[in-house]
Amino acid sequence: MICQHCGKNPATTRIKRIVNGQLSETAICSDCARKMGYGPLLGDWSLPLGSLLGGLMEEEAEPEIRCKGCGITFEEITRTGRVGCAQCYQTFGQRLSPMIQRIHGNTSHRGKSPAKAQLTLQPQTGMRVVPQKTSLLEEKEKQLRQAVEEQNFELAVVLRDEIKAMKEGKNHE
Amino acid sequence: MNEPLKWYEKNGPQGDVAVSVRVRLARNLQGYPFPGRLNDAGKKQVLEVIKEAVLGPNSLFAGVFAWVPVSSLSRTAAVSLVERHLVSPEFISRPQGRALLLSKDESIAVMINEEDHIRIQVLQEGLSLKEAWKTASRLDDALNERLSFAFDPRLGYLTQSPIDLGTGMRASLVLHLPAMEESGVIGRTASNLSKLGLSLQSAWGEGEEATGCLYQLSNRVTLGLSEEEALSNLETIAMQLLRQERGAREKLMQRLDTQDTVARSLGILQNARLLGQGECLKLLSNVRLGAACGFLKGVSLGTLNSLLVLTQPATLRLPSGQEELPGEEQELLRARLVRRMLANRVEMPEEI
Ligand SMILES: [Zn+2]
Ligand SMILES: [Zn+2]
Repeated sequence: MICQHCGKNPATTRIKRIVNGQLSETAICSDCARKMGYGPLLGDWSLPLGSLLGGLMEEEAEPEIRCKGCGITFEEITRTGRVGCAQCYQTFGQRLSPMIQRIHGNTSHRGKSPAKAQLTLQPQTGMRVVPQKTSLLEEKEKQLRQAVEEQNFELAVVLRDEIKAMKEGKNHE
Repeated sequence: MNEPLKWYEKNGPQGDVAVSVRVRLARNLQGYPFPGRLNDAGKKQVLEVIKEAVLGPNSLFAGVFAWVPVSSLSRTAAVSLVERHLVSPEFISRPQGRALLLSKDESIAVMINEEDHIRIQVLQEGLSLKEAWKTASRLDDALNERLSFAFDPRLGYLTQSPIDLGTGMRASLVLHLPAMEESGVIGRTASNLSKLGLSLQSAWGEGEEATGCLYQLSNRVTLGLSEEEALSNLETIAMQLLRQERGAREKLMQRLDTQDTVARSLGILQNARLLGQGECLKLLSNVRLGAACGFLKGVSLGTLNSLLVLTQPATLRLPSGQEELPGEEQELLRARLVRRMLANRVEMPEEI
């Protein structure tokens, strides 16, 4: 299929946009995709990752390994630009890592962690189990006070109910 | 009149230039393949698990969120969600196995089974990045109480696209930049910003279509920066753009031809019987410039912000219940809505 935008290159991506109040799908090439940046307010929602990965993996010709979590092969990941499941990041870790570095640079996560992973293994402390947070209940009560102060009542209602549920001990585990 | 105002009907901090902000967090459940690898049955299971966690017995969120299966929506209602910036076009293109959690004021919209199992989005008026982030993060924590998210200490939150790894956070601002556009500096600014890991692109339409001088500024980096760092970077750059735009506006509004354009634009909006979408967007942008600079007194930025959203085709025809409207009828409806909302008497200075 030829790109419906420039009419020259082969189309690699289908983009979805709203045109005059209707959903429209256009097949475009990676050049045009990059130039256009995509639809109304939603340019950040998807990227033609397939084209970003293409070329990088061509020399790969190993026996086919499938992810135990989802059954995907590495070839499928590079073709679609989509990873199959969380476990893929382990299964194909070595092969994914140059690609992740190409996108993000040689770096690691510095943002928040799931509250539920309250105990995590920290390699740098000799795999010691380190508590990550103070009591979740305390945290919530703090957030509730703040929400009320800021007149964020919608959130306050949510937090109040959560705290109540936690105190009654019937919400989880 | 007990309906709360929608977020897009208000005017927020730095609202003369900053129209709105959106913070999005990507999350995936442990133990389920990402949506792209799920069949309909699998997607349904994920929907059920999330619905149960959010709205099930002992629910923390009932009354806060409406549960909206995408397959239950008419085409127009679905497209209108995109026009109101609540979901992506991708999300409504395949309705099966997808649902939206939507708060009453439409400031919180959680897409389920889009690119990732969960995409929390918080939308707010003006430049309220930190507030939007706080709300998103608390909702994230609350969901995390009942759902386990796929996470790796080094890669952060695990996402279907490696582009989102790390914080899974994309923060974006819609900025109204008529004066910068007029002085032709947008292209250069955008390419400078891309070197800083930020993108600036047209927020409304593209190419030859009318854009209303609305631009979207967003962060690209999700791995190696904390959420706060990414937000601070974005805010710093946004404030620079704001200053630049305000400086350029001051000069622009002193010109008689600009004053003439602004005043005429208001005249057309207040009187037209038919209004096309492109024309309407352009005129609203002109009037917004005049109102933000204090040249037009009596037009509120909140009204103009809501008109930007409400005059889009699907949102406009939604109350009529029609899936399609003939062009002229649509233009008639649009003109009527605009006339009604801009009916106030507007004052402007005498020319010198
Ligand atoms: Zn092309
Ligand atoms: Zn997998």
